[in-house]
Amino acid sequence: MKKTVAVFFGGRSVEHDVSVLTALQFIEALNPLKYDPFPVYVDPMGQFWGGSPLLDRSNYPINLDKISLTRLHLDIAASQDGKPAFTSHRQKSFGRVEVTHHYFDVAVPAIHGTNGEDGSLQGLFDFTAIPYAGCRTLAAATTMDKAFTKSVLRAQGINCLPELVLKRPAGGLFITDEALATALEDPALTGGFPFIVKPCHLGSSVGVSKADNTDDLMAGILSVFRMDHSVMIEPFVTPLTEYNVAVRRLPSGEIVTSAIEEPKRESDLLDFQNKYMRGSKSGKKLGPKVGGTASEGMASLGRTLNPDTLSVGQEEQIRRDAALAFDILDLAGSVRIDFLCNQDTGEIWLNEINTVPGSFAYFLWEAADPAVSFLDLTAALVEEGLTLTRERKGDTGAAQGKASIFSGI
Amino acid sequence: MVWLHGWGQDHQSLMKLAKMVGHQGPHLLFDQPGFGQTEMLHKGAGTNEYAAALLEQLDHLNIASPVILVGHSFGCRVSVQLAAMAPDRVAKVIMIAGAGLKRQRSLIWHLKAQRLKFKSRLAKLFDTLFGTEKLAEFRGKYGSADYKAAGALRETFVTVVNEDLTNQAQQISCDALMIYGSEDQETPPEFGQRYSSLIAKGRYVECAGLGHLDILDRGAYQVTAYINDFMKDGVS
Repeated sequence: MKKTVAVFFGGRSVEHDVSVLTALQFIEALNPLKYDPFPVYVDPMGQFWGGSPLLDRSNYPINLDKISLTRLHLDIAASQDGKPAFTSHRQKSFGRVEVTHHYFDVAVPAIHGTNGEDGSLQGLFDFTAIPYAGCRTLAAATTMDKAFTKSVLRAQGINCLPELVLKRPAGGLFITDEALATALEDPALTGGFPFIVKPCHLGSSVGVSKADNTDDLMAGILSVFRMDHSVMIEPFVTPLTEYNVAVRRLPSGEIVTSAIEEPKRESDLLDFQNKYMRGSKSGKKLGPKVGGTASEGMASLGRTLNPDTLSVGQEEQIRRDAALAFDILDLAGSVRIDFLCNQDTGEIWLNEINTVPGSFAYFLWEAADPAVSFLDLTAALVEEGLTLTRERKGDTGAAQGKASIFSGI
Repeated sequence: MVWLHGWGQDHQSLMKLAKMVGHQGPHLLFDQPGFGQTEMLHKGAGTNEYAAALLEQLDHLNIASPVILVGHSFGCRVSVQLAAMAPDRVAKVIMIAGAGLKRQRSLIWHLKAQRLKFKSRLAKLFDTLFGTEKLAEFRGKYGSADYKAAGALRETFVTVVNEDLTNQAQQISCDALMIYGSEDQETPPEFGQRYSSLIAKGRYVECAGLGHLDILDRGAYQVTAYINDFMKDGVS
């Protein structure tokens, strides 16, 4: 029996468009002999939509006046009798409503950032006992908070940059000059300018800026507070090289790492503009093109795979720390872990963890040793998800823990 | 495994797929005559002659054991010809968006085609009588992109597009797999379905949302899955 794989994408997130690319690539790489893809588009309002027009790249951005999609409702009680399902409703004559069930076997969250990668969607799946691929709820929620992740990893001996976290003031977006001056005296920032300013919770480099002076810092903090309630300030590593590696767990339990990539950098900072909208002059366009000849998102970014700039020791540190972080945080799926490196001193810091990386980082696995085809990766992610949910379910009846109070039922 | 590319392309177009398919034996990716690095056959050569030339190459390389033919579009015409011509030399046939059958056209289409044919004859007559260049003008206006780009292969192109390989397909006795994109306009899924009913041991599969060319690119994963499965079990 073929399994129906519901791929959730889009979402209420600034990374909505990147997610569309990731999902379509995943669907195209699903083995058609084993799986039937079921695209589930989450629009920016949070509504679910289904239908085959979602598979055609030329239909993006979605215009509901032009293409016909089916509005889906997640039936959270349906998994009682086996398979999870969406329902759709159609108005018939005499006020009758026809309800159709759309069953599926497993969900794949392909939503980047908030409301998809941050544990909220995972929590919904856990509660409704819907099998799903990738990180479990706690791991997804933990890694969404960059500062918290670093504090956990640091405690286990993984090298991370020091940081200062500021919360959005109760009164509004602005922090006072005095508060800023106190902040600058924090031991994390003793090295002085430049700093890097990041939202604590968003992914994909959105809202990241470099601060060369107090004015920049103020502006950076302000722009972060528009989208996140806490801001993280770190020393700016210069001269900087970045290295990324993907990590996953084999069915045997062994944790393996992929090829290492060095993203090519055209400017100081890999911000969203630079990352996805290369070639488009301004930010007027609302995202990368998704049409036929379109950008391939993360998969098409300039990069050097298996760069020769790394020493044996540095490569070992990256692979060891990445695998260790994966284990400590109990991650799952194909996770991309990003590192920073000071070119002069050679020091390496673990920077952040993406539990739903762009394109599921398939290009890193295809360049790995041994190489893993995206075809095999999609199958591995789906099967791992099914196993993890099966293991979690276990027996949770009240009688199991001798916790039943009412007898005779 | 012998890979035969489509019209206007060379062996590079199949490289991605050949690398992904899990076949252990050697892969031979040919530039077919007139494409890439290979010299063309005589003017107007048909796909039977392409197949004969391929057979000659296999002899030249001392490959006597039966091969697995993987073709895309025009390459499938050559596969069908070779499998019909030398059944003992072909173990399996895999056709990706294979060409070689005639479209079932409406009456209106035939009437329009008749009118265009008449126009072209008229242009030719004009040219011989008055030394004008009406025919070239006509070709510029109505010729397909492939026709215009064919260059020295123009006669071959005309020969090839007028071929119908129904009879050859019926002679194929080995296992054959037809993989077509649901959105393919050039070689529609209907071709694959027809081929699979013509070939005794033919199997048809369809990839949703893919067209004639992106089936080799975005579709490479799905196509690989179908090919690997077919290599393992054949048609049974």
